[in-house]
Amino acid sequence: MLETRIRDLLCAARDSARRRQIMAEFNFHRERSSLIRLGNSAVALSTHEELTRLDIHVQQGRRTGTASLLADITGREQLEAVLNQALENCRAALEKEYDPIFGVVEETVDDTHGYDSALENLSPATKTELCAQVITTLKPRGRYDFSGSWSSGSVELYYITTANDNECYRRLTDSKLMLVLKEQDKKWELSVERTAKRAGEFTAQDIIAEFEELLPIYEKNPGFRTAVGRQRVLFGPGALAALAQLTVWSGLIGRFWEEGRAFTSGKQFGDRLFSEQITIADDPANPQVFGMPFDFSGKRRRRFVLVEKGTFTGLAYDTATAAKYQKQPTGHDLENWDLTLAPGTAPAGIAQARKLAGDALYIPHLHYIHLPDPTKGLFTGSSRFNALRITKGEFTAPLFSSRITDTLPTVLSNVVAVSARTVAQNESATYGRRLPEGLSVPEYMICDAVRISDVADSF
Amino acid sequence: MTTDVAKIGSIVEGQLQRMLKLGCSFADVRFYDEDRAQHLVLYDGNLEANVSGLERGVGVRVLKDGAFGFAATADLTAIPACFDQALANAQAAARLLGFPRDMETARPVQGVYRPPVQQDPFTVPLSEKLQLLKRVDDALQDKSVAHRSVSATFQRRRIHYWNSEGTRVDREVLNIFASMTVMAPDKEGRTQRRSFQLGSNGKGTRGFEWLSNPAAFSDHAERLKRELGEIVAAEPLPPGRRDVILLPGQGHLQVHETIGHPLELDRILGYELSFAGGSHVKPSDIGTLRYGSEKLNASVMVVDNSPGTYGYDDDGTPQHYYKLIDKGILVNVLSSRVDLAEANARAGRVVVKESGAAARAAGFYKTPIDRMTNVCIEPGTDGTLEDIIRATEDGVLLDMPVSWSIGSNREHFHFGCEIAWEIKEGRRTKVYKNPTYSGHTLEFYRSLDLVGDESTWELVQVANCGKGEPNQIMEVGHGVPVMRFRNVQTGESESARPRAQSESARLLA
Repeated sequence: MLETRIRDLLCAARDSARRRQIMAEFNFHRERSSLIRLGNSAVALSTHEELTRLDIHVQQGRRTGTASLLADITGREQLEAVLNQALENCRAALEKEYDPIFGVVEETVDDTHGYDSALENLSPATKTELCAQVITTLKPRGRYDFSGSWSSGSVELYYITTANDNECYRRLTDSKLMLVLKEQDKKWELSVERTAKRAGEFTAQDIIAEFEELLPIYEKNPGFRTAVGRQRVLFGPGALAALAQLTVWSGLIGRFWEEGRAFTSGKQFGDRLFSEQITIADDPANPQVFGMPFDFSGKRRRRFVLVEKGTFTGLAYDTATAAKYQKQPTGHDLENWDLTLAPGTAPAGIAQARKLAGDALYIPHLHYIHLPDPTKGLFTGSSRFNALRITKGEFTAPLFSSRITDTLPTVLSNVVAVSARTVAQNESATYGRRLPEGLSVPEYMICDAVRISDVADSF
Repeated sequence: MTTDVAKIGSIVEGQLQRMLKLGCSFADVRFYDEDRAQHLVLYDGNLEANVSGLERGVGVRVLKDGAFGFAATADLTAIPACFDQALANAQAAARLLGFPRDMETARPVQGVYRPPVQQDPFTVPLSEKLQLLKRVDDALQDKSVAHRSVSATFQRRRIHYWNSEGTRVDREVLNIFASMTVMAPDKEGRTQRRSFQLGSNGKGTRGFEWLSNPAAFSDHAERLKRELGEIVAAEPLPPGRRDVILLPGQGHLQVHETIGHPLELDRILGYELSFAGGSHVKPSDIGTLRYGSEKLNASVMVVDNSPGTYGYDDDGTPQHYYKLIDKGILVNVLSSRVDLAEANARAGRVVVKESGAAARAAGFYKTPIDRMTNVCIEPGTDGTLEDIIRATEDGVLLDMPVSWSIGSNREHFHFGCEIAWEIKEGRRTKVYKNPTYSGHTLEFYRSLDLVGDESTWELVQVANCGKGEPNQIMEVGHGVPVMRFRNVQTGESESARPRAQSESARLLA
């Protein structure tokens, strides 16, 4: 559980709010983050941050207000000031057209199983040493430059409300490494990613081996400019994670569905959405995700199936949407879900995948992703790292930047094969607070007739 | 100066000297005495976000043996430990050193900056702000509008900067971002939208008086509803090559993505490859590369009313005006002190003479990196918007981005916009929906043939430029006139129908 001093201060603030008959939720976040940044085959930056955040959310009837603090927690008066700011915001707020749902912690959670002190304290020197091994092994083989980043750290989350004395606490560690190898003249880029929950889950040799697998194709072949039009695409795990997230946000969120802005709007549970090979769930129990046991309305999170064998089975409702449309919240008052895209039955391994694909484009990652029209599930995204042309079951050339513009229902209905093996894909946020987020996705999926809308003659 | 600032200044001065004694060649500290924000969102009339936030802490940067280390803490009693952590990070980074990082020597600066403000938004009662947003929301309501949103974000930062060379800067940053959007389905059921963001002509004050001026914000509600109705009833833009006229609402993003980002020196030098990407520009291109036609003049401006104006950057360098592209030739880039030596060494000559004051960090817990500031296109001499329309035989007038795809080195781009007006024989003839256009950066700017005068120049605010790892969201401004580009690829064609699933399955190799 959270250290006694901070916990006592937060509980005292909650008790104070209760005495003042204020309905208040307290959301505490503490992170220890460190990162090395690589550029031009060297460490360009090494950082360390220790940050404490507190959000206090107050509700009075149909009015709500929130105050946030990013500063060291020093004492009761400071917390009282944040509570008063939230109360002031609430009192000045416009009334909503619906009765908001107040957070209630369903049961006390004290979850530290995802914490590893060795990973929390992983030193910049250790990270530098591993990266140096990769760089010194591969750099002499060509005009290569390495860049990337390696972030690691720990997060503590603590959530209580004035509704009862239950507490939600979670402490976990996470790590994400990304290394990019760029050829200085031809400008192609290869990347290798690693995600970890504990120290020592990957080695320099693993990473070198993965680079070496694709390097010969890039070294021996010029870039390939594919044609605009519909083509078979072999998606890799980064692209599949993006497609799963886009599918959720544009089709499986209660708010968009209720407003008629989701591609599922008008459809009912039981309707067919995609190929039978597609099952999408939010599953904190999956061992490949980070597994968030509660959300920030106090709900215990359990496996929640959104699409089962291509059939529409669930919509995720946060408390605000549930209140507005008189539905039950589903444990989705949080940003970092535990999305899973179920494995299929096709043989594991990219070597098998390319043979299955025949003639296709290998697009393992998607960049510059947009959703111009959620009502159709229309998305755009471009290839970048590790994208290749597949000819007669072999990787034959690096692929120039190619943009996909298609609808999610089309892409996920034209599924040809899905790998029987899943991998963890790290999508942790670094924009604001540290929020470990991972997906479990098949290592590949082959889809037919994916619309390539634009092609470049550069990477 | 508050007691806290004086007290922290005293601690910091001692620590900076300690770092020099420990062999560091440079060290600096940013103390955010106050980083305050308020975010309000009305969505379909409901106040869905009503959040105020306060951040406070210090960020320490240390340069030792050619390597940087950074550390940040919100615990103001732990500043010496924060210096130690930054030093340890620098020492670890020095184990894998490339081109030694060098701040070069700079003359110490004693500076103060305050933005032009009549009414500090944080002195305005929340109820008054909400009433303003509610009036806009009421104006957006219409049976033809399916969904609507109105939002405002207020930011005020009070930042104190010290470095080991004796520079001391006390500055305040104040921003207001506001937007309104209306949405409705078209006949195919696709959601169309029309939106507007608070902007300026670069002049005037940027306090609450700006947002509450109806001409600056609320008056645009009626136009948005009318134009949304036109979009919903319109046909998609047919594909083809034609002239493209960009209004500042779209032109600013074109400039942001294909001039601003590729001219960031850290991108040019390859320090952003793994996330944001690289640049098609090489250090040796500076002074020689023809980036665009002779009509293209891009500059870093220091304008009063812009989120890209901040007085001094996070190296302590004063902001100043300089040209980036002069009559189409690339003459400078966006830089900070950190990368000048490396850029000049790689070019084999002096290509960047001084820092462009572009070192910016998004918060005390983020390290400064090369960012856009006010990357602007200078007004031209080709008249008003109507003059440019009259001069166009076959083209489209485009506004406001919906989606964009950019090559990682920024050579190639593809934008989708909210609205297109067809231009035939010098007149606006009809509205098209779902417009897109694409091209190669250098070819595109070399096709620039008309640049609007000052009457067409608008300062567009960008609240959410993302870059760096850990990622940083930065506020920038782009002053852009109306611009015409010749013979651009527009629209998309569906060149093949999707195959049925069963047919797909049979094609499995």
